[in-house]
Amino acid sequence: MSDEREERDDSAAGRFGAHTYQRAQGENNVSISDATVAVSDELAARDDMIVCRDVDKWFGDFQALSGITATIKEQEIVVVLGPSGSGKSTWIRCINRLEAHQNGQIIVDGIELTNDLRNIEKIRSEVGMVFQQFNLFPHLTVVDNITLAPIWVRKKSRPEAEELAASLLERVGIPEQAEKFPGQLSGGQQQRVAIARALAMEPRVMLFDEPTSALDPEMIKEVLDVMEELARSGMTMMVVTHEMGFAREVADRVIFMEGGEIVEVGTPHHFFTDPTEERTKLFLSQVL
Amino acid sequence: MDDAPGTRGAASAGPAGPVDPAVTDVAAAAAARARPPEETYRSAGEWIRKNLFSSRFNSLLTIAFGLLILFAARGLLNFVFSEERGWDAVRTNLRLIFTHAYPEEQYVRIWVCVGTLVVLTGLSLGLFARRGEGVQLKKISTVMAGVGAAIALGVILREPSVLTGADGAVVRENDDVVRQSFFEAMADRWVWWLAAAVLIVAGVVLRRAVASSKVSISSVPAVEFAVALLAVPVLSAWIYPWGHFAFVDGTFIAEPGRTVAMSTKVPWTVMWLLVVAAMALGRLMRRGFDEQQQQRMRIPLNLLWLGSPFALYWVILRDPHLEWDRVVSVDIPMGVLFGVIGAGVLWMLTRPGIGELGRIIAIVLLGVAAFNWVAAFFGWYSMLQKARLSFLLLALVALAAHNFAGEIVKRRRLVMAWLVLMAIVHYFATLMNAPSTVETPTEALIGGFAVTVIVAVFTIMLSFPLGVLLALARTSRLPIFRVMATSYIEVIRGVPLITILIFFAIILNLFLPVGMEISLIASATLGYTLFSAAYLAENVRGGLQSVRRGQFEASDAVGLSTTQRTVFVVLPQALRVSIPPLVGQMIATFKETSLLAIIGVFDVLRMANSVIPAQTQFLGIKREGLLFVSLVYWVFAYTLSKQSQRLERRLGVGER
Repeated sequence: MSDEREERDDSAAGRFGAHTYQRAQGENNVSISDATVAVSDELAARDDMIVCRDVDKWFGDFQALSGITATIKEQEIVVVLGPSGSGKSTWIRCINRLEAHQNGQIIVDGIELTNDLRNIEKIRSEVGMVFQQFNLFPHLTVVDNITLAPIWVRKKSRPEAEELAASLLERVGIPEQAEKFPGQLSGGQQQRVAIARALAMEPRVMLFDEPTSALDPEMIKEVLDVMEELARSGMTMMVVTHEMGFAREVADRVIFMEGGEIVEVGTPHHFFTDPTEERTKLFLSQVL
Repeated sequence: MDDAPGTRGAASAGPAGPVDPAVTDVAAAAAARARPPEETYRSAGEWIRKNLFSSRFNSLLTIAFGLLILFAARGLLNFVFSEERGWDAVRTNLRLIFTHAYPEEQYVRIWVCVGTLVVLTGLSLGLFARRGEGVQLKKISTVMAGVGAAIALGVILREPSVLTGADGAVVRENDDVVRQSFFEAMADRWVWWLAAAVLIVAGVVLRRAVASSKVSISSVPAVEFAVALLAVPVLSAWIYPWGHFAFVDGTFIAEPGRTVAMSTKVPWTVMWLLVVAAMALGRLMRRGFDEQQQQRMRIPLNLLWLGSPFALYWVILRDPHLEWDRVVSVDIPMGVLFGVIGAGVLWMLTRPGIGELGRIIAIVLLGVAAFNWVAAFFGWYSMLQKARLSFLLLALVALAAHNFAGEIVKRRRLVMAWLVLMAIVHYFATLMNAPSTVETPTEALIGGFAVTVIVAVFTIMLSFPLGVLLALARTSRLPIFRVMATSYIEVIRGVPLITILIFFAIILNLFLPVGMEISLIASATLGYTLFSAAYLAENVRGGLQSVRRGQFEASDAVGLSTTQRTVFVVLPQALRVSIPPLVGQMIATFKETSLLAIIGVFDVLRMANSVIPAQTQFLGIKREGLLFVSLVYWVFAYTLSKQSQRLERRLGVGER
């Protein structure tokens, strides 16, 4: 196991010539590369938005994440791919502390995630999240879903928040549904409301946890369109998805995970045409 | 790719452009076609054949249980209409049953209370009852004909009447009572036959009219119909000779053959007019308001509902006598002091950027507030109860203050709310401490059914928030809350209610701080509240557990604090799920108030069970009273349960 990782890490480091640093764990003293290096210099010059260093996460005895190290730059679009159970969702959920990681560091916009409640609250209000199951509040209308957090967390006045909600609904293409309840909308519309709800907090980063997996096929496109528009507007995005088309068209970088580890990092072009790792090739042959 | 059904396709057309009207029309037509044909029966005979006698075995069941029902009905009718029944005991003592010994000359106070509730009901109905909920004329016709048929059946079922001799005594032969012949009895009951015939004919005529569409409407507004129906008993009080029965100032009045007393029919007529007027007013207001203003009207109206029990009991029913010297020298200054100092503290606690310090100050305040009560118990220093209570309230509001921090508008709103709260609390506390001017022979102000309602209402109002808090504490992440709530709930649930009641009635006063006393009814209400809260907490906990994890995650992800998450996301969903068990618990509480009879309160059960049978005129007459009391309980409990079903339906809107 550790040999394998060593080999991969070496090759990655060799290819991109990135800075390396020492792992903290004594016996496992392996140098691994920082995953940011997989992109252009222009991107590398930007500020770090999300930094993960050696993140480990166990569920009981099961290790869901092992040694995740990656940096996501400002305005970067990163798509995380991988077979189910590979830990992609767990990782993304660790970034706004829906799950607590046990080892390593996660730094979001310069704030490290620790058990300190204030840090968590601060990061959560900077990080928007969209869930597979939408998780809209079923007892509130669409507009109340969107304005709840701006009013109570951002302390906006109600008219101000409602104006914001109206403009966001316009942006996601469903301004006419404002007064409806989530249960009265189609899946695609619900997911777009969920995106608007996350955007209403004016986040610096958006996390998408399989946003289209619970949708009927004919509704996937309307959600992806919204995400694409969002990407073009300069939002930093981290997307866990099975939509290869989206990864190819929109992503700046693709991260491939398996078994709780990052297997390969690269531009979409590199990833889809010339993957280095055997496991990546196997995965691509199955899904494409 | 699966084929989306027409409606779904139309709904999801969202961003692609405006929905093509042709598409929706097609979808609507498809939906209309897709509806299953309504099951109709050509004749009543067909319905009976298909539903009651569909197989030999089912026929047997129908006949066997039909006979059972008939026998039960016959028994009940014979009991209720028997010449040996002393219904005079009930109608003479109606006032006793409902309010016990509330003094005659102050009775207008009770009518003011009823009138207030009636006006509030009328306003609520007028403003918020939905137009759409109509009663089908077809249904009305069926009910009319059905009631007529039931009356006819009842007339036939009931035994022939007992013969009485010239002295009025029952004629007996060989110890058996002698009865009229069947046909004599039937002829004697001509009024009932007439009523049955009128109802059946009216029902059939109405049905025919609806079927042949001679009547242009198919339904009438439910609320208006119910209110109009209430006019029937009210009007009959002026016309029909129900008889005048009363028990006033120790003398019994029994004058059959005339209409009911003025002191009964005038107030009820006024009540009916009030409800009509309030409803009309509500409708007028609704017409003048748009949707949003109507929604806003809910808040003051609900506050009136919430405040009415306190105001009606302490101000109207008790008519407290205020000592103005004391009010001016102690009560008002204290209220103002707490208002002003509290406002200052809250203003400071909501300063933007106060952060953790605010919470620490709030916790310290809470500690001091709790210490005040402990000190009171040991008598370390004296302090007015009002002051202790205000202190506690201040600490609790301070705990929630950080939610209002920042913007000046919100801070001002919090401070205003605090001032209003203090005004209300001090007003009522002062009134509570003032002696009542209403003189009654018992220790309690009022008895009978009124005390049942009062205890039930206060128990429900107090135990509901307590139950919710307990449920939240039990599901809290903080072990101290979890342990406290769990042990409280398990202890209370392990003790019989009657034990708790007796404990509170007898022993509570011994545990109170020196100089503090609490009335029997208040301590019983406290006992009921603590008991009921434990059960409510379990119901709410069930609701809390049904809220999906995704809701918690979504609230966390948008940055809501734990309190905000609980108040805005989790509780609304949890409470909606737990409406049926919550209402069940409320009905149980309402019925359990009959245990008041055991600890010595003159409640409605005690009236029927011991007070009336002890009157010289009605010695030993118990069953009639008990039957009547059961009926009264049932009417209230059934109404509650019906309302809860309506609430459930209404809140179901927008649910996934």
